[in-house]
Amino acid sequence: MRRGLAITGLGTFTGARVAERMLESDAARRIVALDVRLPRRLDGRVRFHKVDLTEPTADSLVAEILEKEGCDALLHAAFFTDPNPDLEGSHELEVVGALHVLNAAAAAGVRKIVVTSSAQVYGPHPDNPGYLTETHPLRPHRDAHALRDRAELEGLLRIFASRHRDMVVTSLRPAWIMGPTFESSLTRRFEASRVVTLLGYDPLLQFLHEDDWLDAVELVLERDAPGPWNLAGDGVLPLSTLLRLAGKSSLALPHPLLYRLTSLESLARTGDPPAAFYDHLRFGWVVDARRAREELGFEPLYTSQEAWMSFVVARKLRGYR
Amino acid sequence: MTKRVPDERALAELRASVRALRDELEQRFGVRAPETPDDDDPIESLVEASLDAKDLEEGASAEPPVEAARGWLEQLRDEVRVRFEDVDVVKLYEALRERIAIPSSGDISAEVDDFGLDLRYLARARRWLDWLYDKWWRVEVVGADAIPDAPRVLFVANSAGILPWDALMIAHAIERSVPSHARPRPLVSDWIATLPFSQSRLARLGAVRACAENAERLLAQDQWVIAFPEGQKGALKPFRDRYRLQRFARGGFVSLAARLHAALVPVAVIGSEEVHPILFEPRVLRRLLGIPVPITPTFPLLGPLGVVPLPSRWRIRFGEPLWFDGVSAERAADPLYVNRTREQVRGAIQNLLDEELPRRRSVFA
Repeated sequence: MRRGLAITGLGTFTGARVAERMLESDAARRIVALDVRLPRRLDGRVRFHKVDLTEPTADSLVAEILEKEGCDALLHAAFFTDPNPDLEGSHELEVVGALHVLNAAAAAGVRKIVVTSSAQVYGPHPDNPGYLTETHPLRPHRDAHALRDRAELEGLLRIFASRHRDMVVTSLRPAWIMGPTFESSLTRRFEASRVVTLLGYDPLLQFLHEDDWLDAVELVLERDAPGPWNLAGDGVLPLSTLLRLAGKSSLALPHPLLYRLTSLESLARTGDPPAAFYDHLRFGWVVDARRAREELGFEPLYTSQEAWMSFVVARKLRGYR
Repeated sequence: MTKRVPDERALAELRASVRALRDELEQRFGVRAPETPDDDDPIESLVEASLDAKDLEEGASAEPPVEAARGWLEQLRDEVRVRFEDVDVVKLYEALRERIAIPSSGDISAEVDDFGLDLRYLARARRWLDWLYDKWWRVEVVGADAIPDAPRVLFVANSAGILPWDALMIAHAIERSVPSHARPRPLVSDWIATLPFSQSRLARLGAVRACAENAERLLAQDQWVIAFPEGQKGALKPFRDRYRLQRFARGGFVSLAARLHAALVPVAVIGSEEVHPILFEPRVLRRLLGIPVPITPTFPLLGPLGVVPLPSRWRIRFGEPLWFDGVSAERAADPLYVNRTREQVRGAIQNLLDEELPRRRSVFA
């Protein structure tokens, strides 16, 4: 009986934490890790295979490993946590690498594939409805290369799923993940005691707690849930209220000025112009997570506000401000 | 060491003016400064000291007169303190704020509903909305009995006036007429969402961006909704087209009301179309700035003051509701049926407008 769970991108938060949870909850399950290096704390507990997904022949190598290890499910989490200024390399991993994994999984007879996407693939737009459902077209911010790659991958996933009807292809679209330990370019932006906002704009934001996120990943690994799923904590809060709750002050700048001031720094750090991030603080992109609740039975333990506060409190205790 | 001699005449003038000032102060507060010999006039010695700072002798002789100057300054300070002792500045500020009651960032609560309605903010703004309703536009409501006591009601109104003043006032009128039901949620046009400052404030007051998904979600939650099917075309119609309804888009509101079995109430607002009389709206500016820039007699001529709406007298009239209880889902999706009903509603609102318009004697009185 095939009982292996393959995880690509074990170095990411999601990959590592899901592997740990699986090891604890299901000792019989074999965890097969595919990454360029193995996190030290998982040493000896998972079956590690060094694979660089950007290699041109990565697909046959991955297929071989999946076949040999007898994997029936695959969690693909090999994405950059932060937007990578190396646009070409980023695309190689996030789209081409993911395609290698998909094809290898199909060839090796893997039954289920779970891909971690993001709610940001819907994009911040002034004409977004108040709540975006899974059927809404994906319009990621045109300057955000990582999100465009992710949206492209979601398109490829749909085609892939229609070609392989015997497989369960799931993509998860979480809202911004917040929590005591999760770190991303986003959490670093909100760690500062003074947060830069856009003058005159106060969008509604929602968050997903990191524990809820891991629960959701486990849930779709246990149950068959094909298709895309929006994931978010209950409730929404305006940005200004969030900052007030956290005791942070805001520096509100008119957006044309802000975009000009931060363009160099932003290009150096993320490879995208500043609008790629700041438009997410300008227009709404709140997702409707009712489908996951009703059809999947996913009940987030934390509301958006609680997820935000747990992030804030943890950072305060750690000595950040 | 040569000592520079200041201009004698200028010094004499300065001395005279200082003396005059001091006399006046003494007269006003009845205080006499300690007599000082003329030679040791504080100002003179100060001037001299500043002219030659190295001259320590002069500096030393300037000390006691400075002490004297501080004496009457301190007395003045005491005087002022006594006069304002019983005035609590904080209380005064609070009272002023309470009276003016423009909600600020301090009035936001930690929780908002699905679309950003902030009850605390609304409560704070209510006094201000009341003032606009009662004093500025002197709104009169006609036919409020027609508002049905149903869980789902969709109000459909004529729109005008660039900024959604009418949306706020209709919501206010309905809330006052039917206090048992929660305040209805007005739908505001798209371009407001891109306009800085207005969207966040309007959202806290309960306004929602107009689109079918939002309206459906609100009605499904049994909230009352106010729609303006004319959309941007209505809000930006020129003054000469006032009270002439523009086309009603695709009639999404009809199929929505029919599908969700909401009662549809036509609403006519008289007066709102004069608050910002639009002379023209240049297409060039819209292309350049990305947002419509209407030209009114006061905007942009008077700058920010031009945004102040004109105090016309308003009349809000509610028409007889349309019911969709027996309408099947197939019929609700039938374009011909939707089209016919849409025109029926449009005609009803136009009729209400045409009935009400001749009844008013003047725009402002």
